[in-house]
Amino acid sequence: MKPEEIDWGRLASVIEKHRDEKSLLIPLLQDIQETFGYIPPKSIESVAEAMNLFPSQVQGVISFYAGFSLKPKGKYVLRCCRGTACHVKGSRSILRVVEKELGINEGDTSPDYQFTLETVACLGACFLAPTMMVNRDYFGKLSPTKVTSILAEYRKDKEER
Amino acid sequence: MEDITLTINGKKISCQEGTSILNVAEEYGIKIPTLCHHHDLEPFGACRLCLVEEEKTGRLMASCVAPVAQDMTILTDSPRITKHRRNIVRLMMAEHPESCLVCSKGNRCQLRQIAAQLGVGETDLYPMPNYKRLEQANPFIIRDLSKCILCGKCIRADHELVVVGAIDYNLRGFRSRPATVHDLPLKDSSCTFCGTCVSMCPTGALASKNTQYVGTPEREGLSVCGFCGVGCSLTMGVAGEQVIEVNPSHRQDTVNGATLCVRGHFAHDFLNAGERLIRPMIRKDGELISASWDEALEIVADRLLNIKRTSGPQSVALLGSSKCTNEENYLFQKIARVLLGTNNIDNGGYSSGQRLLRLIDEKTDGGCRIHPLEQLEKAEAIFVLGANPDQSAPVVGYYLKRASRKGVTLIVADPRQTELADFASVWLSLLPQSDLELINGISALLYQKKAYDPSFIDRFTEGFGEYGDGLSSLDLERVTGVTGLDLDILEETAGLLNGKKIAFVIGHGILQQRYGMQSIEALFNLSLMTGSLGHAGAGIYGLARENNQIGAWDMGTAPHALPGRQPLNDVLNGDTARRGWERAWQAKLLPDQGSNVVRMIEEAEKGNLKALYILGENPLRSLPQPERVRKALESVDFVVVQDIFPTETAEIADVIMPGAAFSEKGGSITNMEGRIQTFRPVTSPPGEAKPDWEILFLLAAKMGYTGGNDSLEKIRAEIAELVPMYAELDGQRDVAWVKETSQRKLFDPGGKGGMIPFSSVVSTGDEVYDDIYPFTAILGSVRYHLGSGTRTGYSDRIGELGLKGEIEISPEDGINSGLRNGDMVRVLSPHGSLERAIRLEKRLRKGLIFVPLAVNANDAMNLIGLTELCRPESPGWKTCRVKLEKL
Ligand code: SF4
Ligand code: SF4
Ligand code: SF4
Ligand code: FES
Ligand code: FES
Repeated sequence: MKPEEIDWGRLASVIEKHRDEKSLLIPLLQDIQETFGYIPPKSIESVAEAMNLFPSQVQGVISFYAGFSLKPKGKYVLRCCRGTACHVKGSRSILRVVEKELGINEGDTSPDYQFTLETVACLGACFLAPTMMVNRDYFGKLSPTKVTSILAEYRKDKEER
Repeated sequence: MEDITLTINGKKISCQEGTSILNVAEEYGIKIPTLCHHHDLEPFGACRLCLVEEEKTGRLMASCVAPVAQDMTILTDSPRITKHRRNIVRLMMAEHPESCLVCSKGNRCQLRQIAAQLGVGETDLYPMPNYKRLEQANPFIIRDLSKCILCGKCIRADHELVVVGAIDYNLRGFRSRPATVHDLPLKDSSCTFCGTCVSMCPTGALASKNTQYVGTPEREGLSVCGFCGVGCSLTMGVAGEQVIEVNPSHRQDTVNGATLCVRGHFAHDFLNAGERLIRPMIRKDGELISASWDEALEIVADRLLNIKRTSGPQSVALLGSSKCTNEENYLFQKIARVLLGTNNIDNGGYSSGQRLLRLIDEKTDGGCRIHPLEQLEKAEAIFVLGANPDQSAPVVGYYLKRASRKGVTLIVADPRQTELADFASVWLSLLPQSDLELINGISALLYQKKAYDPSFIDRFTEGFGEYGDGLSSLDLERVTGVTGLDLDILEETAGLLNGKKIAFVIGHGILQQRYGMQSIEALFNLSLMTGSLGHAGAGIYGLARENNQIGAWDMGTAPHALPGRQPLNDVLNGDTARRGWERAWQAKLLPDQGSNVVRMIEEAEKGNLKALYILGENPLRSLPQPERVRKALESVDFVVVQDIFPTETAEIADVIMPGAAFSEKGGSITNMEGRIQTFRPVTSPPGEAKPDWEILFLLAAKMGYTGGNDSLEKIRAEIAELVPMYAELDGQRDVAWVKETSQRKLFDPGGKGGMIPFSSVVSTGDEVYDDIYPFTAILGSVRYHLGSGTRTGYSDRIGELGLKGEIEISPEDGINSGLRNGDMVRVLSPHGSLERAIRLEKRLRKGLIFVPLAVNANDAMNLIGLTELCRPESPGWKTCRVKLEKL
């Protein structure tokens, strides 16, 4: 399942909606991110024009916030925690297992756009270390077998559809 | 603001509230190390190196952003601070790559300097070099962001000073770096290669690319940019006798501050070109051969005097240089007038519309000669007409963009949607050559609204009644028809200008167009009506193409004017000016205006011109119809060329005398603001080349002149004494300003000069275009070249860029003519043709094409007619009708 072609008309109307709210760049970017699941790099120039900013400034804001992405992401975004508590509890090998299972490296998205793998510095659930998130769901006290079964669930979901 | 007292390092200090601790300390000579601070940039507080300690509370503060407060006791150098500073530098150094050892910033790297001062050699930290891709795929800048310390100076310079916005921080944390959009190489971004960020960068992360030399220059010298009429102040780094690097000067009161443009920063490598002329040449049996100075000067003196004797002074003409110094131009016109008895003297500024600027000088009696660019940022409204300073005089563009960012109303009238148009409150996309109608239309709308300054008009002007009648009877429908603009947008513009004093910025779109004279008159009327003259931040700013175009005119290198813009012929006032010069020079001067450069060519064609002496100009490349000019000059018996390059014109000369470039001699030049900058040599001239003033003096001596002028100081002293406008050029200061001497009431309340008259409202004629030539070609500058591109053409780095000067056409016309990007076309006008590739440009409107100047030996000049004048002396060289043929 490839991400859809960008609907430029739709992008333009999102930008138009925010045009009069000069200096409110972040809500506009959020709106684009919501609409497309990411911020298409080609939209930077039009956003800059509407907000009366330099395109380089817009890119700076997008790339600063982890919540924005310039790359299309998979249906499921995995965030493996690499914070101290999780590290002590072996999060490095958890990450390896995930990488091996999905066949992608940290930061990448699988070719079928099912999974994106990211790392974070702490999920704020250290008592459950090692932890990871899939979209909005938390998983704690992970072990390699637990990881494999969680991933299998999400894969199954794909096959069912 | 309140005054505050505080103590810094035990010293009691009083200063204004709101100042930063750093600024106050600097003012009192206390040095605090900084890396991210620059006095022209907004304080940022990124590097924390400027830490100071408040003794009472023990608080540590970044002094560049911390404001002073009452009763603070600040220490700038305690052991605690030093410890922290060392730690900051240790961390920076731990992240730095080993290539630091061979960095071309060398000993000028501020990080290295500070590390040395703090004694940080070993960091004792785990080295963690932050390797980034090295970028050098452009001729100008090397980006090695491994060495970046994230001080943000480049970004702030790019946003705040030159307002380009090519770069900003990208990403976060360890990965964060300044980047272009989509992280493209600079050459594919909006970067203009102005190099401002390079000069600003405290480390080797940004460095200028120099293929000739790597390392720290041996010495530095102060000079002035050799290109456009802004006259940026700069520092040249020298190794041996080669200028290897150029940066904005460190002086603080300069026109350019910390900025330059790509020409000033990088194109000065033409100075080192192997093609430079290094010895005199004379033509023997049709061949140019080397000769001694004595021989060459002897021939020139003899032949000129001989021709004067046998064919009369009218058969001799001299073309002075808008790139040579004031002193040289003064001497040159003196040779013409005193030794050769002719007023046939002009300079290259003619083609940039000097005659039109003269109109303003005449109307105000010299009351409007000073136009400080810095006042533009404080203007009430700016109206830019026919000017694209972003390309032609970039530093002016920076001023305008900064003004717009600060909220100054900016109106841009240009047939093309220039970069500046994007910064404008209103962009008026008028049809070419319709500025006159536009100005009339806006004046009429303002008049209708009674939006004029009655007290100004009453006190200082006359003829407003008739002018008003003229405006009332103006046919606004015709205005909209001729300009192609709706009444709505004209109303909007008038609304924005209502009640404001206006700064007009005019460029070659006005100065070189057929209705240039009338447009200037109309603008002048509008500025009188709105009370915009004689007011800071308002008035008429004319762009000057060459760095000493204004000075050449001021020095009398013009067919109509004596030094100090004094009239040759002024019977009403008993010819006092000319009589004065006759006494001073002990010579009889002719009252009749001489030939301008176009007349010189025409006289040559008629066989009336026997001798032509060309100083630092290349008419075979800079004038229209080069083939016609070549034929004309070839028919002149004796042609002398004094230049630094074997130009197209030098090739047909009978004698070539090698002069020195500006950086190789002393002198002064006057910029478009009226600022006179004096400079000293930075290197010596190559080979046997000599400073031009010296050549001129030696020649004058050979011609029997005994009146002194044998040193720069003496020439300068004579100018300061005899030219009231240049009284400040007294050798005492490096920067002086011209004097405004007007006695008109506006400028001198007790003066005898009276009121300034309005002139009557005139309109453009009706243009009838024939279908054979369906397009209007606009000829214009590109920022990488100046003028006809002779000097910039000898710059290796500009050459490496490989500009092809693609003809721009609107996508609509492109498609209709079956043209795609990259197709070759022949452009034909009634005068000639050229061949280039085409580029579809959506910023161009239908019916227009844009032809960049200076590339391909400036073949754009083939298209226009040399003698296409609407009213005398207004060169109609900006546009012409053309057709396209696909090749
Ligand atoms: S490139 Fe230079 S000027 Fe720019 S942030 Fe890095 S160190 Fe500072
Ligand atoms: S060279 Fe000039 S335009 Fe380019 S990034 Fe640096 S400051 Fe900006
Ligand atoms: S060409 Fe003009 S704007 Fe550019 S550096 Fe030289 S004087 Fe300044
Ligand atoms: S370190 Fe993993 S959740 Fe806190
Ligand atoms: S100079 Fe003050 S923080 Fe950098």
